[in-house]
Amino acid sequence: MSRGIIIFAQNNEYINYAEQACACAGYARRNLSLFDEVCLITNSETLQSEEKLINEYFDNVIVSDNFQPENIRLFKDTTDKLDYAPFKNMSRSEVYKLSPYDETLVIDSDYFIMNDILDQVWNSDNDVMINSKYRDISGRHKENIEYIDNFSIPMYWATVFYFKKSDFAENLFTLISHIKHNYKYYYYLYNCSGNLYRNDFAFSMALHILNGSVAFDVPSLPIEYLNNSFDLDDIFRINAYNDVIMYCADAEQVSSHILSRFKDMDVHIMNKKAIERFIDDLLVNGEKA
Amino acid sequence: MADTSKETEIEASKEDLQRLEKALDFSNTMKTFNLNKNNLKVKTQNLLSHSTAGGSFTVDQSLISFMNFVVSSGKTEITLLDKNDIPVHIEDTEKFLDDVSSLYFEVVNDYYNEYQKLKSSRKIEKVLEI
Repeated sequence: MSRGIIIFAQNNEYINYAEQACACAGYARRNLSLFDEVCLITNSETLQSEEKLINEYFDNVIVSDNFQPENIRLFKDTTDKLDYAPFKNMSRSEVYKLSPYDETLVIDSDYFIMNDILDQVWNSDNDVMINSKYRDISGRHKENIEYIDNFSIPMYWATVFYFKKSDFAENLFTLISHIKHNYKYYYYLYNCSGNLYRNDFAFSMALHILNGSVAFDVPSLPIEYLNNSFDLDDIFRINAYNDVIMYCADAEQVSSHILSRFKDMDVHIMNKKAIERFIDDLLVNGEKA
Repeated sequence: MADTSKETEIEASKEDLQRLEKALDFSNTMKTFNLNKNNLKVKTQNLLSHSTAGGSFTVDQSLISFMNFVVSSGKTEITLLDKNDIPVHIEDTEKFLDDVSSLYFEVVNDYYNEYQKLKSSRKIEKVLEI
């Protein structure tokens, strides 16, 4: 059984996702050990711009130049700065076809693995594992399950998920692809909010449909909660490959921050500019031992 | 007479202000303490996971107690529901009990040490080793 960790990255004019993916790959490699390869799925343009770095951090690179329709997203860098830029996140539904592995762990390029819990996914009996429970490192969001809408279905976070080559996973990704191509229809059907195409939404809808459109439980990853740092937070310091100190936006006054340390604990750092500011430290800590 | 009582009132409210400042300062410390404590708690919850035979288990006191009962009843293999309510067959109950209890002690002990560190200092710089 081959096992691979897959990270997607496509640069835009605002963010160098390839660099972030390299840092993220480095952290995965330093903290997990039971996989065969770390693989990047990217487009030709991104690969050309960062080929040397990519080859340093990844064992395998898959190029997919599928057309990405315009998907403009608001990027926040704490409360200081806001920017709109294209968000190229539409190839995720192709991962089933593109993955050369029997078992695949997909992680976002801003998800930093800092302990070995995700090594427990390998050889699971479950065809797909994904989390709906999450925690906000700043404690702003009290509920730990988010819904697509108050009258809709629970949201599953496509930030990290596991699948093995199986009928269930194949059907799931077929549905995700179908939803992606008919997003407007499903968007209204499930009372979605915002204009952005979100993989989280597409995954949640597909899981709902695949489970017979009734209440359902999808096996969660071995981690209990996805540990989210939203884009109002910032990085204070990178200590090591398993140790980061964050500025967490104060729940009552988001422009103020509280320091908190994350040691041996994964963090999904959504403030891309913060990652960019600390990219050298992140890359050094993720270098191959 | 009326003037004197006014002065006393002003004097008192200055003290109140100082006390209030102190309380608000303390509230900031508590805010930091609580956030860091919650993050330690979440870390502990995430680390208390054990996977075997294709299933994942949340390791807690009730799993350990149940397994202790299973082992002391002489059962060497059993089927258990994992955290996703999937039945998983455990072939060696004694080893499973050993694994989950070791993990529990190790993770909770780390939590205790980090919590003591957090509790013992009001200075966040010291706790976070900044």
